[in-house]
Amino acid sequence: MTGPDDQTGGMSPDLPGGDTALSAEYVLGLLSEGEVRAFEGRLSAEPDLQAEVVYWAEHFADITDTVPDVTPPKAVLRQIEIRAFGDTRKPLWRQLVPYALGALAAAAIAFAVNLGGLLDTAPERPHLYADLVAGDRGLELLAHYAPGSETLMVRRDVGELPADRSLQIWIYPASGAAPIPMGPLAPDQLTSIPVPDALRSQFPGATVAISEELADAAPGVGPTGPVLARGVLTPR
Amino acid sequence: MRAKGKVVELVTGIAAQDEIEDLLARIAMGDRKSFRELYSRTSPKLFGICLRVLRDRAEAEEALQDVYLRIWDKADLYRANGYSPMTWLITIARNISVDHRRRTKLPDSDRLDAAEQLADETPGPETLTIMRDAADQLRQCLQELPPDRASMVQSAYLDGETYSDLAKATGVNLNTVRTWLRRSLMQLRECLSR
Repeated sequence: MTGPDDQTGGMSPDLPGGDTALSAEYVLGLLSEGEVRAFEGRLSAEPDLQAEVVYWAEHFADITDTVPDVTPPKAVLRQIEIRAFGDTRKPLWRQLVPYALGALAAAAIAFAVNLGGLLDTAPERPHLYADLVAGDRGLELLAHYAPGSETLMVRRDVGELPADRSLQIWIYPASGAAPIPMGPLAPDQLTSIPVPDALRSQFPGATVAISEELADAAPGVGPTGPVLARGVLTPR
Repeated sequence: MRAKGKVVELVTGIAAQDEIEDLLARIAMGDRKSFRELYSRTSPKLFGICLRVLRDRAEAEEALQDVYLRIWDKADLYRANGYSPMTWLITIARNISVDHRRRTKLPDSDRLDAAEQLADETPGPETLTIMRDAADQLRQCLQELPPDRASMVQSAYLDGETYSDLAKATGVNLNTVRTWLRRSLMQLRECLSR
Protein backbone atom coordinates (compact mmCIF):
# COMPACT_ATOMS: atom_id res chain seq x y z
CA MET A 1 0.00 0.00 0.00
CA THR A 2 1.33 3.39 -0.85
CA GLY A 3 0.39 6.32 1.26
CA PRO A 4 1.60 9.68 2.43
CA ASP A 5 4.71 8.04 3.84
CA ASP A 6 6.83 8.65 0.81
CA GLN A 7 10.42 9.69 1.24
CA THR A 8 10.34 12.96 -0.61
CA GLY A 9 7.70 14.61 1.50
CA GLY A 10 5.91 15.53 -1.66
CA MET A 11 2.22 15.12 -2.12
CA SER A 12 0.28 13.34 -4.80
CA PRO A 13 -0.76 16.05 -7.23
CA ASP A 14 -4.29 14.69 -7.48
CA LEU A 15 -5.16 15.34 -3.82
CA PRO A 16 -7.73 18.13 -3.45
CA GLY A 17 -7.39 21.17 -1.25
CA GLY A 18 -3.86 22.46 -1.91
CA ASP A 19 -2.02 24.33 0.83
CA THR A 20 -5.18 25.03 2.79
CA ALA A 21 -5.89 21.37 3.32
CA LEU A 22 -2.20 20.64 3.75
CA SER A 23 -1.96 23.21 6.57
CA ALA A 24 -4.98 21.66 8.28
CA GLU A 25 -3.42 18.22 7.99
CA TYR A 26 -0.24 19.63 9.50
CA VAL A 27 -2.10 21.06 12.50
CA LEU A 28 -4.03 17.81 12.95
CA GLY A 29 -0.79 15.84 12.89
CA LEU A 30 -1.79 13.82 9.84
CA LEU A 31 1.32 14.38 7.73
CA SER A 32 4.10 11.83 7.46
CA GLU A 33 7.53 12.73 8.78
CA GLY A 34 8.81 13.53 5.33
CA GLU A 35 5.84 15.75 4.62
CA VAL A 36 6.27 17.54 7.94
CA ARG A 37 9.90 18.27 7.13
CA ALA A 38 9.04 19.58 3.69
CA PHE A 39 6.18 21.64 5.10
CA GLU A 40 8.26 23.16 7.88
CA GLY A 41 10.98 23.93 5.38
CA ARG A 42 8.49 26.15 3.55
CA LEU A 43 6.92 27.74 6.63
CA SER A 44 9.59 30.21 7.60
CA ALA A 45 9.70 31.67 4.10
CA GLU A 46 5.96 31.71 3.38
CA PRO A 47 3.85 34.06 5.52
CA ASP A 48 0.64 32.93 3.79
CA LEU A 49 1.33 29.38 4.83
CA GLN A 50 2.04 30.54 8.40
CA ALA A 51 -1.28 32.35 8.41
CA GLU A 52 -3.05 29.17 7.27
CA VAL A 53 -1.45 27.21 10.08
CA VAL A 54 -2.46 29.81 12.68
CA TYR A 55 -5.97 29.90 11.21
CA TRP A 56 -6.43 26.16 11.59
CA ALA A 57 -4.72 25.99 14.98
CA GLU A 58 -7.11 28.65 16.30
CA HIS A 59 -10.17 26.81 15.03
CA PHE A 60 -9.10 23.31 15.95
CA ALA A 61 -8.20 24.49 19.46
CA ASP A 62 -11.94 25.11 19.86
CA ILE A 63 -12.46 21.34 19.67
CA THR A 64 -11.17 21.29 23.25
CA ASP A 65 -14.02 23.54 24.36
CA THR A 66 -16.10 20.49 25.24
CA VAL A 67 -13.24 18.80 27.10
CA PRO A 68 -13.90 19.12 30.84
CA ASP A 69 -11.40 20.90 33.07
CA VAL A 70 -9.61 18.67 35.55
CA THR A 71 -7.48 20.05 38.37
CA PRO A 72 -4.13 18.22 38.38
CA PRO A 73 -2.78 16.75 41.67
CA LYS A 74 -0.68 19.21 43.70
CA ALA A 75 2.49 17.14 43.32
CA VAL A 76 2.61 17.85 39.59
CA LEU A 77 3.43 21.53 40.02
CA ARG A 78 6.18 20.63 42.47
CA GLN A 79 7.72 18.25 39.94
CA ILE A 80 7.48 20.87 37.22
CA GLU A 81 9.19 23.44 39.39
CA ILE A 82 12.00 21.06 40.25
CA ARG A 83 12.53 20.37 36.58
CA ALA A 84 12.06 23.95 35.38
CA PHE A 85 13.90 25.85 38.09
CA GLY A 86 16.58 23.24 38.73
CA ASP A 87 19.08 25.59 37.16
CA THR A 88 18.60 28.85 39.01
CA ARG A 89 20.49 30.91 36.49
CA LYS A 90 18.63 32.02 33.43
CA PRO A 91 20.70 31.36 30.33
CA LEU A 92 21.89 34.54 28.68
CA TRP A 93 20.31 33.74 25.35
CA ARG A 94 16.88 33.73 26.94
CA GLN A 95 17.38 37.22 28.24
CA LEU A 96 18.57 38.51 24.92
CA VAL A 97 16.43 36.75 22.35
CA PRO A 98 13.28 38.89 22.71
CA TYR A 99 15.29 42.07 22.19
CA ALA A 100 18.03 41.04 19.87
CA LEU A 101 15.84 39.64 17.16
CA GLY A 102 13.49 41.55 14.96
CA ALA A 103 9.91 40.38 14.79
CA LEU A 104 10.49 38.71 11.46
CA ALA A 105 13.46 36.66 12.55
CA ALA A 106 11.69 35.81 15.78
CA ALA A 107 8.67 34.67 13.81
CA ALA A 108 10.77 32.35 11.74
CA ILE A 109 12.32 30.82 14.84
CA ALA A 110 8.96 30.62 16.57
CA PHE A 111 7.57 28.60 13.73
CA ALA A 112 10.53 26.35 13.56
CA VAL A 113 10.43 25.73 17.28
CA ASN A 114 6.77 25.84 18.18
CA LEU A 115 5.18 24.22 15.22
CA GLY A 116 7.97 21.78 14.72
CA GLY A 117 7.85 21.01 18.41
CA LEU A 118 7.21 17.34 17.91
CA LEU A 119 10.22 16.93 15.74
CA ASP A 120 12.93 18.86 17.49
CA THR A 121 16.03 18.29 15.43
CA ALA A 122 18.68 19.07 17.98
CA PRO A 123 22.31 18.64 17.01
CA GLU A 124 23.81 15.31 17.90
CA ARG A 125 24.92 15.13 21.51
CA PRO A 126 27.58 12.89 22.97
CA HIS A 127 27.07 9.98 25.31
CA LEU A 128 28.03 10.92 28.86
CA TYR A 129 29.55 8.63 31.46
CA ALA A 130 30.35 8.91 35.14
CA ASP A 131 32.21 6.43 37.30
CA LEU A 132 30.54 6.50 40.67
CA VAL A 133 33.09 5.50 43.24
CA ALA A 134 32.41 5.11 46.94
CA GLY A 135 35.04 5.97 49.49
CA ASP A 136 35.08 2.99 51.80
CA ARG A 137 32.75 0.29 50.52
CA GLY A 138 34.69 -0.70 47.43
CA LEU A 139 31.57 0.12 45.51
CA GLU A 140 31.73 1.04 41.83
CA LEU A 141 28.84 2.01 39.64
CA LEU A 142 28.68 3.36 36.14
CA ALA A 143 26.19 6.04 35.12
CA HIS A 144 25.61 6.41 31.39
CA TYR A 145 23.46 8.98 29.66
CA ALA A 146 22.41 7.87 26.16
CA PRO A 147 21.20 10.88 24.14
CA GLY A 148 19.57 8.69 21.46
CA SER A 149 17.12 7.10 23.84
CA GLU A 150 17.27 10.06 26.25
CA THR A 151 17.87 7.71 29.11
CA LEU A 152 20.07 7.79 32.18
CA MET A 153 21.26 4.31 33.12
CA VAL A 154 23.04 3.28 36.29
CA ARG A 155 24.56 -0.12 36.86
CA ARG A 156 26.59 -1.63 39.70
CA ASP A 157 29.94 -3.03 38.63
CA VAL A 158 31.77 -3.88 41.82
CA GLY A 159 30.85 -4.16 45.50
CA GLU A 160 27.62 -4.49 47.40
CA LEU A 161 24.91 -1.96 47.99
CA PRO A 162 23.52 -1.73 51.50
CA ALA A 163 20.52 -4.06 51.68
CA ASP A 164 17.01 -2.93 52.58
CA ARG A 165 17.80 0.72 52.09
CA SER A 166 16.10 3.25 49.91
CA LEU A 167 18.69 4.45 47.39
CA GLN A 168 18.12 7.56 45.35
CA ILE A 169 19.86 8.87 42.23
CA TRP A 170 20.55 12.62 42.13
CA ILE A 171 21.86 15.05 39.56
CA TYR A 172 23.79 18.04 40.82
CA PRO A 173 23.93 20.51 37.89
CA ALA A 174 27.35 21.99 37.17
CA SER A 175 25.80 25.43 37.66
CA GLY A 176 25.56 24.75 41.38
CA ALA A 177 21.76 24.72 41.28
CA ALA A 178 19.74 22.57 43.66
CA PRO A 179 20.09 18.79 43.22
CA ILE A 180 17.46 17.09 41.09
CA PRO A 181 16.04 13.75 42.25
CA MET A 182 16.08 11.29 39.33
CA GLY A 183 14.42 8.33 41.00
CA PRO A 184 15.29 5.20 42.98
CA LEU A 185 18.25 2.98 42.20
CA ALA A 186 17.31 -0.64 41.55
CA PRO A 187 19.89 -2.59 43.61
CA ASP A 188 20.11 -5.78 41.53
CA GLN A 189 19.60 -4.69 37.98
CA LEU A 190 20.22 -1.91 35.50
CA THR A 191 18.31 1.21 36.44
CA SER A 192 16.97 3.11 33.41
CA ILE A 193 15.43 6.53 33.83
CA PRO A 194 13.94 8.54 30.98
CA VAL A 195 15.38 12.05 31.02
CA PRO A 196 12.93 14.91 30.45
CA ASP A 197 13.74 17.48 27.75
CA ALA A 198 14.35 20.30 30.18
CA LEU A 199 16.99 18.39 32.11
CA ARG A 200 19.21 17.25 29.28
CA SER A 201 21.04 20.53 28.90
CA GLN A 202 22.08 20.28 32.57
CA PHE A 203 23.72 16.91 32.20
CA PRO A 204 27.18 17.70 30.80
CA GLY A 205 29.50 18.27 33.73
CA ALA A 206 26.80 17.47 36.28
CA THR A 207 27.57 15.25 39.25
CA VAL A 208 25.63 12.02 39.62
CA ALA A 209 25.23 10.93 43.23
CA ILE A 210 23.68 7.94 44.93
CA SER A 211 22.24 8.64 48.35
CA GLU A 212 20.86 6.45 51.07
CA GLU A 213 17.52 8.04 51.97
CA LEU A 214 16.33 8.01 55.55
CA ALA A 215 12.96 6.34 55.89
CA ASP A 216 11.23 8.99 57.98
CA ALA A 217 12.94 12.13 56.79
CA ALA A 218 10.80 14.99 55.56
CA PRO A 219 11.25 15.61 51.84
CA GLY A 220 13.59 18.50 51.30
CA VAL A 221 15.89 19.97 48.69
CA GLY A 222 18.41 17.18 48.32
CA PRO A 223 19.35 13.86 49.90
CA THR A 224 18.06 13.16 53.39
CA GLY A 225 20.83 10.68 54.14
CA PRO A 226 24.50 10.03 53.34
CA VAL A 227 25.81 10.07 49.76
CA LEU A 228 27.35 6.66 48.98
CA ALA A 229 28.98 7.34 45.64
CA ARG A 230 29.39 10.14 43.19
CA GLY A 231 30.99 11.03 39.88
CA VAL A 232 30.95 13.67 37.13
CA LEU A 233 29.22 13.09 33.78
CA THR A 234 31.60 13.61 30.88
CA PRO A 235 31.91 12.37 27.28
CA ARG A 236 34.41 9.55 26.60
CA MET B 1 -20.21 30.60 34.26
CA ARG B 2 -22.92 30.35 31.69
CA ALA B 3 -25.29 32.09 34.09
CA LYS B 4 -23.26 35.26 33.68
CA GLY B 5 -24.47 35.57 30.13
CA LYS B 6 -22.69 35.64 26.85
CA VAL B 7 -21.64 39.29 26.77
CA VAL B 8 -20.00 39.21 30.18
CA GLU B 9 -18.37 35.92 29.32
CA LEU B 10 -16.95 37.35 26.12
CA VAL B 11 -15.50 40.30 27.99
CA THR B 12 -13.93 38.12 30.68
CA GLY B 13 -12.63 35.96 27.87
CA ILE B 14 -10.85 38.84 26.19
CA ALA B 15 -9.54 40.26 29.48
CA ALA B 16 -8.33 36.82 30.47
CA GLN B 17 -6.53 36.40 27.13
CA ASP B 18 -4.74 39.71 27.69
CA GLU B 19 -3.74 38.63 31.17
CA ILE B 20 -2.43 35.31 29.90
CA GLU B 21 -0.43 37.17 27.28
CA ASP B 22 1.01 39.40 29.98
CA LEU B 23 1.93 36.38 32.09
CA LEU B 24 3.68 34.78 29.12
CA ALA B 25 5.73 37.94 28.59
CA ARG B 26 6.84 37.84 32.24
CA ILE B 27 7.57 34.12 32.07
CA ALA B 28 9.77 34.81 29.06
CA MET B 29 11.84 36.95 31.43
CA GLY B 30 12.15 34.07 33.87
CA ASP B 31 9.50 35.28 36.34
CA ARG B 32 8.62 32.26 38.46
CA LYS B 33 5.71 33.91 40.22
CA SER B 34 4.02 34.52 36.88
CA PHE B 35 4.73 30.93 35.90
CA ARG B 36 2.89 29.69 39.01
CA GLU B 37 0.07 32.10 38.32
CA LEU B 38 -0.23 30.86 34.74
CA TYR B 39 -0.20 27.30 36.04
CA SER B 40 -2.96 27.93 38.54
CA ARG B 41 -5.11 29.59 35.90
CA THR B 42 -4.56 27.27 32.97
CA SER B 43 -3.59 23.85 34.33
CA PRO B 44 -7.18 22.54 34.79
CA LYS B 45 -7.85 23.29 31.13
CA LEU B 46 -4.55 21.83 29.89
CA PHE B 47 -4.68 18.81 32.21
CA GLY B 48 -8.21 18.14 30.95
CA ILE B 49 -6.77 18.06 27.41
CA CYS B 50 -3.86 15.78 28.39
CA LEU B 51 -6.28 13.43 30.11
CA ARG B 52 -8.69 13.47 27.18
CA VAL B 53 -5.96 12.65 24.66
CA LEU B 54 -4.11 10.11 26.78
CA ARG B 55 -6.99 8.72 28.84
CA ASP B 56 -4.55 7.62 31.50
CA ARG B 57 -3.86 9.64 34.64
CA ALA B 58 -0.18 8.80 35.07
CA GLU B 59 0.61 9.54 31.43
CA ALA B 60 -1.45 12.72 31.56
CA GLU B 61 0.46 13.95 34.61
CA GLU B 62 3.75 13.25 32.88
CA ALA B 63 2.57 15.00 29.73
CA LEU B 64 1.38 17.99 31.77
CA GLN B 65 4.86 18.34 33.24
CA ASP B 66 6.33 18.38 29.75
CA VAL B 67 3.72 20.93 28.66
CA TYR B 68 4.63 23.43 31.38
CA LEU B 69 8.34 22.86 30.88
CA ARG B 70 7.86 23.65 27.21
CA ILE B 71 5.94 26.79 28.18
CA TRP B 72 8.69 27.80 30.60
CA ASP B 73 11.38 27.23 27.98
CA LYS B 74 9.62 28.71 24.98
CA ALA B 75 7.52 31.56 26.39
CA ASP B 76 9.87 34.05 24.76
CA LEU B 77 8.84 32.71 21.37
CA TYR B 78 5.13 33.07 21.98
CA ARG B 79 4.66 36.69 20.96
CA ALA B 80 5.97 36.30 17.46
CA ASN B 81 3.90 33.45 16.20
CA GLY B 82 0.49 35.04 15.74
CA TYR B 83 -1.50 32.67 17.94
CA SER B 84 -3.87 33.85 20.61
CA PRO B 85 -2.33 32.87 23.94
CA MET B 86 -4.84 30.15 24.83
CA THR B 87 -4.48 28.59 21.38
CA TRP B 88 -0.73 28.50 21.85
CA LEU B 89 -1.10 26.78 25.22
CA ILE B 90 -3.78 24.38 24.00
CA THR B 91 -1.73 23.49 20.92
CA ILE B 92 1.31 22.69 23.07
CA ALA B 93 -0.80 20.53 25.42
CA ARG B 94 -2.47 18.72 22.56
CA ASN B 95 0.74 18.12 20.58
CA ILE B 96 2.75 16.88 23.55
CA SER B 97 -0.11 14.59 24.60
CA VAL B 98 -0.47 13.14 21.11
CA ASP B 99 3.28 12.64 21.00
CA HIS B 100 3.15 10.74 24.30
CA ARG B 101 0.21 8.67 23.14
CA ARG B 102 1.91 7.63 19.92
CA ARG B 103 5.09 6.74 21.78
CA THR B 104 3.59 4.69 24.61
CA LYS B 105 1.13 2.55 22.67
CA LEU B 106 -0.89 1.63 25.75
CA PRO B 107 -3.76 -0.53 24.44
CA ASP B 108 -7.00 1.41 24.11
CA SER B 109 -8.72 -1.09 26.38
CA ASP B 110 -6.42 0.03 29.22
CA ARG B 111 -7.35 3.66 28.80
CA LEU B 112 -10.10 5.41 30.72
CA ASP B 113 -13.60 5.95 29.43
CA ALA B 114 -14.84 9.51 29.25
CA ALA B 115 -17.02 8.85 32.31
CA GLU B 116 -13.98 7.87 34.38
CA GLN B 117 -12.12 11.07 33.81
CA LEU B 118 -13.16 12.81 37.03
CA ALA B 119 -13.91 16.23 35.64
CA ASP B 120 -14.10 19.10 38.08
CA GLU B 121 -17.69 19.51 39.23
CA THR B 122 -17.80 23.23 38.65
CA PRO B 123 -15.09 25.33 37.07
CA GLY B 124 -13.47 27.53 39.72
CA PRO B 125 -13.39 31.30 39.36
CA GLU B 126 -9.82 31.12 38.14
CA THR B 127 -10.60 28.77 35.30
CA LEU B 128 -10.17 30.57 32.07
CA THR B 129 -13.20 30.91 29.88
CA ILE B 130 -12.32 30.79 26.25
CA MET B 131 -14.59 32.60 23.93
CA ARG B 132 -17.47 30.31 23.32
CA ASP B 133 -18.91 31.89 20.21
CA ALA B 134 -15.89 30.76 18.21
CA ALA B 135 -16.33 27.23 19.55
CA ASP B 136 -20.01 27.34 18.60
CA GLN B 137 -19.03 28.30 15.06
CA LEU B 138 -16.69 25.34 14.76
CA ARG B 139 -19.33 22.99 16.14
CA GLN B 140 -21.90 24.24 13.64
CA CYS B 141 -19.49 23.91 10.74
CA LEU B 142 -18.48 20.39 11.78
CA GLN B 143 -22.17 19.53 11.85
CA GLU B 144 -22.44 20.49 8.20
CA LEU B 145 -19.93 17.77 7.29
CA PRO B 146 -20.94 14.14 6.83
CA PRO B 147 -20.91 12.77 10.41
CA ASP B 148 -18.07 10.31 9.79
CA ARG B 149 -15.84 13.09 8.40
CA ALA B 150 -16.53 15.35 11.36
CA SER B 151 -15.59 12.58 13.72
CA MET B 152 -12.39 11.96 11.74
CA VAL B 153 -11.35 15.56 12.34
CA GLN B 154 -12.14 15.23 16.03
CA SER B 155 -10.34 11.95 16.50
CA ALA B 156 -7.29 13.21 14.63
CA TYR B 157 -7.16 16.17 17.00
CA LEU B 158 -8.17 14.54 20.27
CA ASP B 159 -7.00 10.94 19.83
CA GLY B 160 -3.98 11.57 17.61
CA GLU B 161 -5.36 9.22 14.96
CA THR B 162 -3.27 9.00 11.82
CA TYR B 163 -4.49 8.42 8.27
CA SER B 164 -3.53 4.81 8.69
CA ASP B 165 -5.71 4.55 11.86
CA LEU B 166 -8.57 6.27 10.06
CA ALA B 167 -8.21 3.95 7.07
CA LYS B 168 -8.33 0.90 9.35
CA ALA B 169 -11.37 2.21 11.20
CA THR B 170 -13.29 2.94 8.01
CA GLY B 171 -12.10 -0.04 5.99
CA VAL B 172 -11.18 1.99 2.93
CA ASN B 173 -7.72 2.62 1.61
CA LEU B 174 -5.54 5.38 2.91
CA ASN B 175 -5.55 7.58 -0.17
CA THR B 176 -9.32 7.47 -0.32
CA VAL B 177 -9.59 8.50 3.32
CA ARG B 178 -7.15 11.29 2.68
CA THR B 179 -9.06 12.55 -0.33
CA TRP B 180 -12.32 12.47 1.63
CA LEU B 181 -10.86 14.28 4.57
CA ARG B 182 -9.14 16.96 2.50
CA ARG B 183 -12.42 17.69 0.70
CA SER B 184 -14.11 17.96 4.06
CA LEU B 185 -11.42 20.28 5.35
CA MET B 186 -12.04 22.59 2.39
CA GLN B 187 -15.74 22.50 3.13
CA LEU B 188 -15.00 23.28 6.76
CA ARG B 189 -12.80 26.20 5.73
CA GLU B 190 -15.53 27.56 3.51
CA CYS B 191 -18.09 27.35 6.33
CA LEU B 192 -15.77 28.94 8.90
CA SER B 193 -15.04 31.91 6.66
CA ARG B 194 -18.70 32.73 6.08
